[in-house]
Amino acid sequence: MNQPILQVQHLSKSFGRREILRDIDFSVFPGDVISIIGASGSGKSTLLRCINLLETPTGGKITFHGQDQTLRGTSAAAYRAKVGMVFQSFNLFNNMTVLENCMVGQVKVLKRKRDVAREKALHFLEQVGMAPYVNARPQQISGGQKQRVAIARALAMEPEILLFDEPTSALDPEMVGEVLSVMRKLAREGMTMLVVTHEMAFARDVSNRVVFMNQGVIGEEAPPQELFTNPKHPETRDFLSRFMAG
Amino acid sequence: MEKLSMLFDDVALLWEKYASSYLTGMGRTLLLAVIATLAGCVIGFACGVVQTIPCSKNDFFLKRVLLGLVRGILRAYIEIFRGTPMILQAVFIYFGLPYFTNNAMQFRNLWAVSILVVSINTGAYMAESVRGGILSIDRGQTEGAKAIGMTHVQTMTSVILPQALRNILPQIGNNFIINVKDTSVMFIIGFTDFFSVHKAVVGATYRYFPSAAIEMAGYLTMTLVASLLLRWLEKRLEGSGNYELVQTDPLITTAGTYNYPGKGSPFDESSREHRETMEKEEEA
Repeated sequence: MNQPILQVQHLSKSFGRREILRDIDFSVFPGDVISIIGASGSGKSTLLRCINLLETPTGGKITFHGQDQTLRGTSAAAYRAKVGMVFQSFNLFNNMTVLENCMVGQVKVLKRKRDVAREKALHFLEQVGMAPYVNARPQQISGGQKQRVAIARALAMEPEILLFDEPTSALDPEMVGEVLSVMRKLAREGMTMLVVTHEMAFARDVSNRVVFMNQGVIGEEAPPQELFTNPKHPETRDFLSRFMAG
Repeated sequence: MEKLSMLFDDVALLWEKYASSYLTGMGRTLLLAVIATLAGCVIGFACGVVQTIPCSKNDFFLKRVLLGLVRGILRAYIEIFRGTPMILQAVFIYFGLPYFTNNAMQFRNLWAVSILVVSINTGAYMAESVRGGILSIDRGQTEGAKAIGMTHVQTMTSVILPQALRNILPQIGNNFIINVKDTSVMFIIGFTDFFSVHKAVVGATYRYFPSAAIEMAGYLTMTLVASLLLRWLEKRLEGSGNYELVQTDPLITTAGTYNYPGKGSPFDESSREHRETMEKEEEA
């Protein structure tokens, strides 16, 4: 009865001769919160960008509700409207206010009426605690605030999955908490999330599955209790010990 | 000194007699420059958008071929109209149409030809400026727009071009000022602008230098005013540095709470109560 929303099958990606991803397989079910961890250069971000088709996969399939999104002639735009993405570098639209950032996608892509879009935008901005800043421009707010707006922007599209690409890596340490607490709340509300992160505490406490990426392949995939306390593969153990030590 | 006062006398004389001609000429020059620059911008933006359409291996063969073809045509257009003098383009187009249609078709309206020629000439320059402007915008802006499902055209019109426009505004100003001056070559097909008034006046009075002095002053006035207006516009587009807070940010103080499991996050139901009790305590 529980059909996966998203399935990644035999996904591979090369930039020229350099192979970044090899034979990646996993499924995302409704309500899943999956953390993707791994060393820098292990292909975590590329995997996420492939899932959102910001990078064109070299091989394999990405199926969304059973439909292959890598086929010729499928509309990447229509698919992306249902799969939200939050970037490391926020990527808020610099020519718009906070409110407009959260409205533009609804108006242009979902064709919602402006007042409906405004209502929704305000609702989600409130959720991330950014309602007071509706009139601010991205240049005027802090990194953590930008990221919360970026999350609200993605939520306003009411996506079925939300992808996070190292959402706290570009933040000053004192701002990490505010973003993580928003993400924790989303997870608790049942949002399906795929999070590339270096925040091991988040991966351990919030996600229901952790994917460890190692040199372009999935090194290990397990529930967090298992992966963090009893990693099966030596690479995972290695990575975790290095990470926990630092 | 003597020469100078003589010049003033001559200028005054010419101005008295031909002021309305000069002013109409200036008006026509300005009008042509404004319309052609605007049209040129539209052409330039359209070219810029088309030239930056992404093309992936996943697209249909036909789309890729078509896109390649259109890009080739645009490339040729830009190179041809950037690489030949506008005065020749005017002649080429004005006399070309009747030549190819055995006089069945010709331009009856000099305004139309002039606007056409100056527009497509400006468009060729603007296309490159716009492309540069688009390239100057951070890739993240495009990715942000794509990630919420925008198509290429939506991304361009809502996100990239408004930002690119601000970056290339000095270029647009440049083109406008060039157009104010260079529309003078349209006399070759008989368009009567500010410069052609000079030709008419000296034809009647033989006062070359005084008329040229008026022309110099006139062109300089137009371009200086244009410069000032553009600076003002640039300032305005930057927008104000201030914004109003609707209220205070309830989350900002909670940075780092994630590491304090005892207190919970501000989204915990308990936390709201906690805050409310704190507020009550403060009031009491």
